[in-house]
Amino acid sequence: MIHHRSLNEIVIFYTPIRYASLFFVVGISADDNELITLEIIHRYVEVLDRYFGNVCELDLIFNFQKAYFILDELIIAGEMQESSKKSILRVVSAQDQLEDNEITEKGWPENNRIGLRG
Amino acid sequence: MSNNMRGLTMFIADIRNCRVRESEEKRINKEMANIRAKFKEGNLNGYQKKKYVCKLLYMYILGWDIDFGHMEAVNLISSNKYSEKQIGYLAVTLLMHENSDLTRLVVNSIRKDLDEYNEIYNCLALHAIANIGGREMAESLNGDVHRLLISPASKSFVKKKAALTLLRLYRKHPDVIPAVDWSERLIALLDEPDLGVVLCVTSLIMALAQDNLEAYLGCYAKVVERLSKIVVKKEYAADYVYYKVPIPWLQVKFLRLLQYYPPLDDTTIRHELHNVLQTIMQNSQDTPKNVQHNNAQNAVLFEAINLAIHLDTESSIVNQAAVLLGRFITSKETNVRYLGLETMAHLAACVDSLEPIKKHQDTILLSLRDKDISVRRRGLDLLFSMCDVSNAKVIVTELLRYLSIADYGLREEMVLKIAILTERFATEYQWYVDIILQLISTAGDHVGNEVWYRVVQIVTNNEELQEYASRTVLKHLRSPTCHENLVKIGGYILGEFGHLVANIPGGSPIEQFHAIYSKFGLCSTQTKAMLMTTFLKFVNLFPEIKGEIVSVFHNYRHVLDAELQQRSTEYLAISTMPNDDILQTVCEEMPPFPERESALLLRLQQQHAATEDKRTWHIGGKEANKEREAVRLQLSANRSNSTDSKSTPNNESSTDLLTLESLTIGASTVASQTNSAHIPAGTVTPGSEKWLGKLLYTSEGVLYEDNQINVGLKSEYHGHVGRLALYFNNKTNTNITSFTTVIEQVPHLSITTPQSAATTIAVQAQIQQLFHIECNKPFTTMPIVRISFISGSLHNVALRLPISLTKFMEPIELGGPEFFARWKQIGGSPREIQRIFQALVPIKLADVGTMLSGFRFGLLESVDPNPNNFVGSAVLHTKSAGMTGCLMRLEPNLDAQAYRLTVRSTNENVSEQICNLLEPRLANDVV
Repeated sequence: MIHHRSLNEIVIFYTPIRYASLFFVVGISADDNELITLEIIHRYVEVLDRYFGNVCELDLIFNFQKAYFILDELIIAGEMQESSKKSILRVVSAQDQLEDNEITEKGWPENNRIGLRG
Repeated sequence: MSNNMRGLTMFIADIRNCRVRESEEKRINKEMANIRAKFKEGNLNGYQKKKYVCKLLYMYILGWDIDFGHMEAVNLISSNKYSEKQIGYLAVTLLMHENSDLTRLVVNSIRKDLDEYNEIYNCLALHAIANIGGREMAESLNGDVHRLLISPASKSFVKKKAALTLLRLYRKHPDVIPAVDWSERLIALLDEPDLGVVLCVTSLIMALAQDNLEAYLGCYAKVVERLSKIVVKKEYAADYVYYKVPIPWLQVKFLRLLQYYPPLDDTTIRHELHNVLQTIMQNSQDTPKNVQHNNAQNAVLFEAINLAIHLDTESSIVNQAAVLLGRFITSKETNVRYLGLETMAHLAACVDSLEPIKKHQDTILLSLRDKDISVRRRGLDLLFSMCDVSNAKVIVTELLRYLSIADYGLREEMVLKIAILTERFATEYQWYVDIILQLISTAGDHVGNEVWYRVVQIVTNNEELQEYASRTVLKHLRSPTCHENLVKIGGYILGEFGHLVANIPGGSPIEQFHAIYSKFGLCSTQTKAMLMTTFLKFVNLFPEIKGEIVSVFHNYRHVLDAELQQRSTEYLAISTMPNDDILQTVCEEMPPFPERESALLLRLQQQHAATEDKRTWHIGGKEANKEREAVRLQLSANRSNSTDSKSTPNNESSTDLLTLESLTIGASTVASQTNSAHIPAGTVTPGSEKWLGKLLYTSEGVLYEDNQINVGLKSEYHGHVGRLALYFNNKTNTNITSFTTVIEQVPHLSITTPQSAATTIAVQAQIQQLFHIECNKPFTTMPIVRISFISGSLHNVALRLPISLTKFMEPIELGGPEFFARWKQIGGSPREIQRIFQALVPIKLADVGTMLSGFRFGLLESVDPNPNNFVGSAVLHTKSAGMTGCLMRLEPNLDAQAYRLTVRSTNENVSEQICNLLEPRLANDVV
């Protein structure tokens, strides 16, 4: 749902879809387009889904920093930055690549990809 | 996916295992102590710092206060490892707000990362600015961000972030961003091939353009063109199709941006836009099953309808939209019902005829009983907007009935709206009084003071109302439950007009007094004070009940409240004076109130003020939207003023000024051939008018030339219409990109571009731009074309176009007698203008003849006895002001090297303007 704050009212926009155990609250201004904002949420979920593989609450909890990084690729200053899934994922995986390279270079403790899925 | 901090994962798992708050707190405190100790020890490597900062962040997002670790985060930012830097930046953006003292420490690191060759570092820095964005950052970094946005070397994903970062800085600190200076450069970015970049730049331009409509006018044509490419021509990358809708986010933004501008006159653009809107309407006839598809489609559709309403409420598209909206307000989906009602309210606020909306009145009334409060509110807004004399009774009655069960949060606004509608559309006094009193008694505490003040004003100013009002308030005062607001109105009205009902049964003075006095004890002090005054008025109106009233005053002389005590004492003194002179003077009937703006409307507007977006409409009828119109007029007035002021003085002096101007500017910036500065509206590039003069009497030639481009011109005119083509040649060795032309329209000329020009000029190549011109009435100012393009850096050129009044003249042949007959008929001043002036170049008669023909005079041989003199005639054609005959006589004096020019025409302004055009050319030009 979207909480739509104009001067003294909160409008709730409904989304008929439930995103597993995830809930999203978005604050927008009185004159933003509400429906397209719902779709920003949907796109975020889709990207998370693609990245984590069927995303759930635990993915976001154990990888909260990643959730922020992905959000940064989607939204800046409250505006949609990129709507192409491919573009977003390309940038995110480039970041991961960089990170992985640094780890193998220096031999930090083993790359710990534990499967903490609920 | 990488998650490589085992310690962090363990910590998070620990916290999740805590069943109660106490154990979580214990675990958190233990970890904090541990991290604090590690940080104190120092000697941590990058990985450890990163891990501990991550743990702190996790605690922070769980809601625990974090009062240390900021320095470690700042250190991480300057790490040369990406993974550490990234966590450092995340920590800084989460832990710091815009006014933190610590932001000072990170500004330099951020600047360094902005300058970094590695784009991925640029991105981290941009995220930080966009997420923190305090004044200090805005001031010291906006230039760097802007550079990243416009640099041709920047990658698309950097440009996107840079554009939105600037948007954030502009929203927070608009004074830091030179919005006007950047306009051309930013508009040029709308040509970017990457739709993601266009999306971000559009968000930025939307904010800047709202505050600088004029400077960003150039985006209008570009936006229409891009929209048309996406919607009509279906040119887009497959990546950007979102559930069958091509990049809905961008479409929505484009459609909104166009609503900030008044509709343009350019018929080509209008036509293109019409096609876009028509296509969107057609694509939206079905309701897609897929939720995402449906949402995206409707998001675009509603924005398109709003734009269509903004452009022209009578258009066929708006008619189609009205039908669609009728369907939407009965939709099963709450979102769609909500938006349907909201958009219909927009329509109601703009259209001339409410009929298409009234068809749905019953549905709309039902929406007041919708299960969703937001839908109910929109229903209320719409009813308010669509109310007129014909349906006021139905709507107001329904609203009143709804008021008693309405949500508390809604009631005050409802009361205001009902009061306004009742006042605005009442056709019978009785109805007004009944409804308004019923409103006050139903709504009770939700009635603001404005409402009852207004009732008093209206009753006082309308004599016909007074008796009925007095009778009705008396009835209300007698009922056992009577709200204090009603007591106030009752007290006031009876005090003024009670005598009008003194003779009806139940209305005798003593009965009026008892009706009020029975409520007196329960009222607030303020109301009591008011009622005291009513009683004093009663003493004056009804001397027979003076005894009762005086005893009330007596009793209240000793109350604790100072106001009541004072009133009772003074009123007692006045009432018990030996004669009534003072009493009568004090209680004289109140004069009518001066007509003033309704306090109710003011109140309602205050409630709706303060939205940041410059909305194109407000809730309410057409009247309420006049303001919008005013702003629009102001905009166009500014435009024409600025152009007028430049060329109303005769052309000679204005060219002098311009040459002077170009000299001084040229001297200060010697290499100013690269015109990257913004050129204010109504002015032209200094020095560019040297080519203009000759083109006033020739139909083709060079209009402008500099190191980058050469502009050629060809034109032809027939009657009041003309065609003009500009040819732009790229003189450089690189492609010219983002090429844009915008015409600054002038009064009485309409100039349209049948086709937008290409936006790129290849090396040594040429592109063409065609203009259609129509002359509606005689005019003085010649239009300006503003050209901007990128060739290495941004260049702006503003050129005056040689579209002058004489271009619309057709030469005619007259015989001698005919000529003189007309010459006499027109007569002397003011329709004759004569100028005597010195020739600054040697007079050559043959050339003068050529020039005069070029000015489209038909030269008449052997009419003037002196063979050196020229006599010419022509007819000026205009579309709406018809034809004007123009006669001219030029007497060159070869000995004195001077001219006497006489022009007679049936319109004195035309004579004046022809002289203004001819004189400087004759004096200065060598043909």
